Amino acid sequence: MARELIHAIVDGILTGGVYALMAVGLTLIFGVLDIINIAQGVLVILGAYLSYSLSTRAHIDLFTGLLITIPVMFIIGVVIHWAFIRRLRGTERTSMTLLVTYAVALIIEGVLYKVYGADDVQLQASYTTSSVHIFGFYLPWIFIYGFIVAVCLVVALYLLLYRTRLGRSVRATMQDENAARLVGIEVNRVAALTFGIGVAVTAVGGMFFGATNAFNPNSGYDLISRLLAIIILGGLGSIGGALAASVFMLTLESVVTIWQPTWAIAVFYAALVLVLLIRPTGFLGRKAVRAQ
Amino acid sequence: MTAVLRTEGIKKAYGGVQALNGAGISVDEGTIAGLIGPNGSGKTTLFNVITGYDRADEGQVHFAGQVITNAAPDKVFAAGLGRTFQLTRIFPRLTVLENMLVAAQHKRDQRHTVRRRAMELLEFVGIDRHAGLLAGSLSYGQRKLLELAYVLVADPAVILLDEPAGGVNPTLINLIADRIRELNSQGKTFLIVEHNMEFVMGLCSTITVLESGAAVVSGPPEMIRSDKRVLDAYLGADLEEEEPDE
Repeated sequence: MARELIHAIVDGILTGGVYALMAVGLTLIFGVLDIINIAQGVLVILGAYLSYSLSTRAHIDLFTGLLITIPVMFIIGVVIHWAFIRRLRGTERTSMTLLVTYAVALIIEGVLYKVYGADDVQLQASYTTSSVHIFGFYLPWIFIYGFIVAVCLVVALYLLLYRTRLGRSVRATMQDENAARLVGIEVNRVAALTFGIGVAVTAVGGMFFGATNAFNPNSGYDLISRLLAIIILGGLGSIGGALAASVFMLTLESVVTIWQPTWAIAVFYAALVLVLLIRPTGFLGRKAVRAQ
Repeated sequence: MTAVLRTEGIKKAYGGVQALNGAGISVDEGTIAGLIGPNGSGKTTLFNVITGYDRADEGQVHFAGQVITNAAPDKVFAAGLGRTFQLTRIFPRLTVLENMLVAAQHKRDQRHTVRRRAMELLEFVGIDRHAGLLAGSLSYGQRKLLELAYVLVADPAVILLDEPAGGVNPTLINLIADRIRELNSQGKTFLIVEHNMEFVMGLCSTITVLESGAAVVSGPPEMIRSDKRVLDAYLGADLEEEEPDE
C-alpha cells in the first residue's frame, strides 16, 4: 500500500510538471490579454498530432521533434492572435474572446478530423514502453524525460519573464495596460508574443500527452477543463499558482486513482470547489481584479 | 519669456456637465506654474486634455511650438510632456528599480547606462535604498516620489504634477518641494495642481485660478492671495462642499 502510494505521488508530480507547463501558457495569456484561450486544449492535441506526423512520416524522435513543433506552435499562436484576437475591442472583449477561441478550437478540431480521422492514436518511442525500476516500481522513461523538459522550460519562461526586458514589458502590461502603453511599450506586440509563447508550450504538453494517452481530435476538451480548473485553483494570472496547482491536482488525482479510479476526476473538480470556497482567489490569486 | 505650454479655449463636457468652458492657461519656459481652483473646477480634466487622456470638444493645446490637441497619451509623453497622477500610477508588482527600467523602455541606451541613470534618479528622490522592493510595498508618499523619478526617466521638458503633496506627510512634502526646485533650477518647467495652498504659494511663480472650467485670474502668488475673485471662488467652494470630487 505504501509503495503504491509513493508510486502514485511520484506519478502525480511528474505528470503535474508537464501540466504546469501547459497551465503556465494559459495563465500567461490570461494575465496579459485578459482572455481565456478555450482553444488551448485542442492546441495541445494539435501539438500531439504534429509530433505524431514527424515521428511516423519523417521518423524524427519525439524530443528532437520538439525543436520543430515548438516554433511551429509559436507561429500558430501569433497567427491566431493576429487573425482573431487582435481585432476584438471594447467592453464585451473578454466574453467575445471566449466565443472566438472556442470557434478556433472547433476549426482546428475539424481540420484534425479531416487530416487524421477519428481513430485513437498514440505516440510511440522506445522510452514510452521501456521503464526504469525505482523503489520497487516501474516508471516509464517518458514520464521522467517529459518532467525534465517541462521543468527546464518553466525555468526558461521564468527567466524570460523576470530577467529580460520583454519579460518586464509583459509583467507591466499584465498590471496596467494603459500605463504600459504610456511609457512606450508596444502593447500589441507584447500581446502577440505572449499569445505565441503561451501556445508554443502546448507543443511539449501535446507530445507528452500523446505519448502517455491515446488521443483523437476530440481529446482537447477534457484537457481544457482540467487546465482551466488548474489555473483557477492557482489564481488566475499567477504563474507560481499554476505550478503549485498543477502538481497538487495531478498528485491528488493520481492518489485517488489507487483507491477508486472512477472517482479520480470527480475529486479533481471537488478539490477545486472546496479550495475556492475557502479561498475565492485561488492559491496565489490577487485580492481584487486588476487595479484600473 | 515664451510660453512652452499653452491652452486656448478648451471646452469639454461630460454628458450635461460642462467640465471645461474655454479654459486657457499659459506656462512660461523654465518656471514653476500652479493651477488651483475649487473642487470640480476642472483642474484634473484640463490635465487630462493636455496629456491626451481626454479629448477636448473645442480648443487647442500648444506645446513647444506644436499643436498637440487630442494627441494620444504616449505621443504626448514622448514629445516631452511628463505627468504624474492624483492617484499614483506605478506598477505595484514590479520592483522599484523595474518600474524605472520599464519607464526607460523606449531608450536605446546601453543597459548599464539605463540602470545607472535609474539608480541616480532614485537616489535623487531619496528612495534608492528601496530599489529592490515591490513598488506596492512603498508608503504613499514614497510612491509619489517614485512616480516623480519615473517621469524623469523620459527626461521631459515639462512636468505636470497632479496633487504631488496630497496625502503625503509634511517631511516628504518638503522633500518633494525641494526636488521640484532643484529640477527647476536645471531648466525643467512645471505645472502643478495642488490643494495645499502653502505648498503652491511657496513654490510657484505664477498661479492660475480655474473656476467652473475657465481661468478667472492668473498672476504671481501675492496677487492671487489678495484677489477678490479667488476669495469668492474658494468661498463658493466651501458652500458647495458636498459636490463630488473631480
